[in-house]
Amino acid sequence: MARPAAKRSPARLVIALSVAAVLAVFLLYTSIAGGGTPMIQPSELDGRTERVTLAGHVVGPPRGDSHGEGLRFRLRNIKDDDGTVVEVLYTGSVPDLFRAGRDIVVDGQLQPDGTFVAVPGTLITKCPSKYAS
Amino acid sequence: MSLALLLGALLAAACVVLVALPYLREPQPADDALEEPGELERRHLELSEVRDRALAALKELEFDHRTGKVSDEDYRALVGPLRREAAEALRALEPRAGARTRVSDAQRG
Amino acid sequence: MPELGRAALAATLGLSLYALVAGAYAARFRRRRLALSAQNALIGAFGTTVVASIVLALALARSDFSFVYVWAHTSLALPAGYKLSAFWGGQEGSLLLWLLILTGYAAAAVLLNRRSARDLVAWVVPVLAGVAVFFSFLVVVIASPFATQVAALDGRGLNPSLQNPYMMSHPPLLYLGYVGLTVPFAFAMGALLARRADERWIVATRRWTLVAWTALGIGQLLGSHWAYEEIGWGGYYAWDPVENAALMPWLAATAFLHSVMIQEKRGMLKVWNVLLVLLAFGLSLFGTFLTRSGIVSSIHSFTEGSIGPWFLGFICLVVLGSLALVFARLPLLRSRTKLESLVSREATFLYNNLLLVALTLTILWGVAYPIVHELVHGEQRFVGQGYYNFFLRIFGLPLLLLMGIGPLVAWRRASLRGLAASFAWPAGAALLAGAVLLALGAGSSIPGLIAYTFSAFVLASIAFEFARGTRARRALAGGSWPRAFSQLVGRNRRRYGGYVVHAAVVLLAIGVAGSSLYDSVAEGRLSPGGTLAVADYRLTYERLVEREAANATEVRAVVGIERGGKELGTLEAGKNAYAAERQVTNEVGIRSDLVTGEDLFVIAEQVRPDGSVYFRVFVNPLVNLIWLAGFVFLLGSIVALWPDAREQRRLADRYARAGLPAEP
Repeated sequence: MARPAAKRSPARLVIALSVAAVLAVFLLYTSIAGGGTPMIQPSELDGRTERVTLAGHVVGPPRGDSHGEGLRFRLRNIKDDDGTVVEVLYTGSVPDLFRAGRDIVVDGQLQPDGTFVAVPGTLITKCPSKYAS
Repeated sequence: MSLALLLGALLAAACVVLVALPYLREPQPADDALEEPGELERRHLELSEVRDRALAALKELEFDHRTGKVSDEDYRALVGPLRREAAEALRALEPRAGARTRVSDAQRG
Repeated sequence: MPELGRAALAATLGLSLYALVAGAYAARFRRRRLALSAQNALIGAFGTTVVASIVLALALARSDFSFVYVWAHTSLALPAGYKLSAFWGGQEGSLLLWLLILTGYAAAAVLLNRRSARDLVAWVVPVLAGVAVFFSFLVVVIASPFATQVAALDGRGLNPSLQNPYMMSHPPLLYLGYVGLTVPFAFAMGALLARRADERWIVATRRWTLVAWTALGIGQLLGSHWAYEEIGWGGYYAWDPVENAALMPWLAATAFLHSVMIQEKRGMLKVWNVLLVLLAFGLSLFGTFLTRSGIVSSIHSFTEGSIGPWFLGFICLVVLGSLALVFARLPLLRSRTKLESLVSREATFLYNNLLLVALTLTILWGVAYPIVHELVHGEQRFVGQGYYNFFLRIFGLPLLLLMGIGPLVAWRRASLRGLAASFAWPAGAALLAGAVLLALGAGSSIPGLIAYTFSAFVLASIAFEFARGTRARRALAGGSWPRAFSQLVGRNRRRYGGYVVHAAVVLLAIGVAGSSLYDSVAEGRLSPGGTLAVADYRLTYERLVEREAANATEVRAVVGIERGGKELGTLEAGKNAYAAERQVTNEVGIRSDLVTGEDLFVIAEQVRPDGSVYFRVFVNPLVNLIWLAGFVFLLGSIVALWPDAREQRRLADRYARAGLPAEP
């Protein structure tokens, strides 16, 4: 392949640097803000009293008023159900799709009395697949 | 149930006919080779693309200059090389194209 | 009749398999009649799929509950329109719809190109057939829509969230988009297999890609609108994996649409274009895999379901096979043209591509990371809005700016001085707009202010382009301004159609910025007669009404609206209780102000037996620009797609003279 006598265009260098810059931004963000927050199951709550994101399957009828004294419902593991059930106390908006039998995600902290008190407004029902039978 | 069977059979028959059609139409063809562009034709194609690109770039440069996107001095700097490129592309294409049309005219005649 | 459906689908599978094997053999060993036979088989596969689709559609219309699918997704009380749209309301039916569109596109692509690109089509057929084999295999073996049972008395009904005009049209449009990306992919692979280094495949698929991209875009807007009205949490996009599933291929296709322009003008980026179309197609397969396989709720549900592993296997096969092919043909794709200058339209397109692909990959990472992490560590992770919003801003805002810069820069090379002249007016307009917005209080959100200022720049640059183009045209050919304008657009449909599409994206950006960064919210429990204030609105809860609809009981709170002392009428918000499906849905009340583009969004979260209602109210500024953007987007695409007789002739001439005759 004949090599041209003209000097190499700086364009290649700039493009390579831009790609590197994009990569750097991405790596920087994920290393600082973390790649997602840990999502734990009710059975893994054991003793953890810091704020976590709890993912679980809603069992039993929800009771109470989320805009009043609080909505109470129980969560079990979505998979590998070992019987652990945790009681959740939630205030704030409840998504349309929420009901017993759905999988949900909620932020909060486990209290000494064993109740998981949720941060208001953090309840998210996973978009159920339209095609799930 | 029997209607479904009948329709199914019709469908199957239609499929078979459709697939066999080229063979039914030409049971003994003169030539069964799939055409593909030869070396000459590929070259011609590449050169056509280069020519079209050069001509289109020239046309676009004229238009951009008229609308003011390309300033006078940019225009002067760019138009020369572009015109040369287009001329080269046309030259590279012409003798071959000339020969080809002559050849294919002969074939058609 | 289900037997006919099953037989028809089996025929589709058989024909596709034949088209794949015979087509590949014919292309490899140059057998003309065999190649034609394979083409016919592919076309026939469309016919048999139509037959199967008619069988299903009739069964749905007649509420034939001996079909398991009809029983599972409709009920006697379901309105007729939804009975038909239930066709794509479930796994099996939606796969059949995919297959129908795929074989339809394949048949059309073959028929339109079989005369003018014989050697290319010879290889495109087996690629298209391969994809058809996969999908027909799924509907024949894994997820058949024609499973039967003892006819039940009534069906289970359709998911109430799907009983909505948007959900009727959203999947078909999305599929027209997803599946549409198969065609440029097949042509790209076909060109590589046929060892063609020219841009025939791009010319052949340009319109296909544009149509698919438009359909995918409109489909997503419909989906967002549905989410806004039906799910009703006040927003329209939650960065949920199923939403991202459609966004990713669309972004990749956007990058592709731009980079093929570079190949067309300069002959560069051949390898990049092939990789991009592979990325777009791969992401469309991945997208449909995500929404069906249940993998996003947990790994466990994925392995339980039967369809996921098949999809994953097919995607791996496609990606690895295509990459191997690209690698094998790498010498063929080398181009000698280099980027001349960093101040050129090519460079802005390259940056556009870089940012679009970066955004696509970060979204992909956000979707895939929880899955991968769970596989490796066993612990689930959750990627929230913060991640996506950060990258949307950091990649999206420069993209917005580039949309304004690109059209102002010429190809190949532009001097900075020449550029400054072009930039002056739009930049000035943008700075003025920024100052005005700052004075109006837009400084409450810095990203919002930046988004607005950039948007002003882009709109000004588009207007500037139209203006100076029209002026030049008029100087050249005389005539009135409107005439010059229509001539201008008529002679440069792709360019000016593209500008209109850019304008649509800007409207979208303004709508998104306004509604997500400058919104207001208020909530509270009200008894009849109570009032709630939000932004400059005052709402009064008047009374509760209850009524019966076709298949649901509707409860509505009637709310009176007042703004600045003026009565603005009432709206209703409440809930629907569906009998057959045993579900309660939220029905929000929206008042759109057509002058300011803002929405008053009222959610009746809780309706208590004592008649008191807990309300949550949003004011979303400029949100209606998002929906308006959809129309402008469609308009721009139509302009860009409109056939140009002169260009058609030129292209036909080019390929005919290259010795690829149009007639045998």
